[in-house]
Amino acid sequence: MTEEQNYNEVARRYGLEPIPESVLRLTQLVSRQDAGLDEIAGFIKKDPALGRRVLRLANPGAKTAADYTIKTVDEALMRNGIGCALLLAMNAPLSEALVKTFLTMLSLKLECLDVHQAVPLQGNHLLGTIKFSGHATGQVYLRLSFDSAKQVAARVLGLDPAEAVDLDAAKDAVGELLNIMAGNFKSNLCDAGLECCRLEPPNVFSTSGFTTVIEPGCGLERMAFSAPPILLFVDARVNPWS
Amino acid sequence: MPTKILSIDDSRTIRLIVAKGFQPYDVIMFEGANGEEGLAVATRERPDLIILDVTMPVMDGVTMLGKLKENSDLKQIPVIMLTAESGRENVLKIARMGVRDYLVKPFKEDQLIEKVSRIVPLQKKPATT
Repeated sequence: MTEEQNYNEVARRYGLEPIPESVLRLTQLVSRQDAGLDEIAGFIKKDPALGRRVLRLANPGAKTAADYTIKTVDEALMRNGIGCALLLAMNAPLSEALVKTFLTMLSLKLECLDVHQAVPLQGNHLLGTIKFSGHATGQVYLRLSFDSAKQVAARVLGLDPAEAVDLDAAKDAVGELLNIMAGNFKSNLCDAGLECCRLEPPNVFSTSGFTTVIEPGCGLERMAFSAPPILLFVDARVNPWS
Repeated sequence: MPTKILSIDDSRTIRLIVAKGFQPYDVIMFEGANGEEGLAVATRERPDLIILDVTMPVMDGVTMLGKLKENSDLKQIPVIMLTAESGRENVLKIARMGVRDYLVKPFKEDQLIEKVSRIVPLQKKPATT
């Protein structure tokens, strides 16, 4: 029996869901170290939605398409590297992991927001980070207000949202949601051929500021989600060739 | 006789969710926050089933599973992995170590109850008035 058949048999026995084919295709292409930027650009250009998103990723400061300084997919990949395309490929599984986690464990349907339109977090808030390392290294960040974190914890634990939840319980709940989301994300990266050896336990702490260091070839994706009154910011940073 | 279940997860949230799921049943719950604590509780209490996370500090779930399977007194205890790790390589590696089932987080309580009930008896507690 081949490894593939072995896995399929185990997945069937345990009732596990397979990685989506479309995600596999782009990620496998990106994870091939001999794949040229033109080949990857050609794949992205076939899908206008992917093309729009890669331009948005390449122009993180722009509020609208009219503000873009990088205007083509080729230029975006040249300037931002393959990590940008990898994030593009993995955005859907990351978003889906978050939405599925909230739906399954909190019975809440998250809506994806335009990150530029979302009201930024002010003052002290919770920041959860989780690192993965191996052939692909990176970090997933989850940011939310204390009130949102307490709402999340209450719902996860099946309490009335009005019930008082202490900050430690809120931190633990946020850490676990981050762990679930990052675990799903990392599993998809591994299945696409980027062996990630290790997922570190989440670290959740209070902060009043948030910055990420972007190295050459690294991709950063920023997302915002809402299920009123809960507002979440998710950032993912991936460097495929560590 | 109540069924003894050991839940091992570094997240207090997950341990609370698991414990809450078994509240309606005649079950005694034990907990551990990492593999090392889990092994100690398993040795002391001899649970009927272990629910085990993978990514944990001190000792991860895969290491704990390996130690459990090396121990002639504990290796027969059925283990259900409850983890966010669903990558093929990890699933295959863990399956080969002899786990009875695998549940990927996020999960619903009833999915866990259903998997557990296939392995050990779960009796509802009599209704109290």
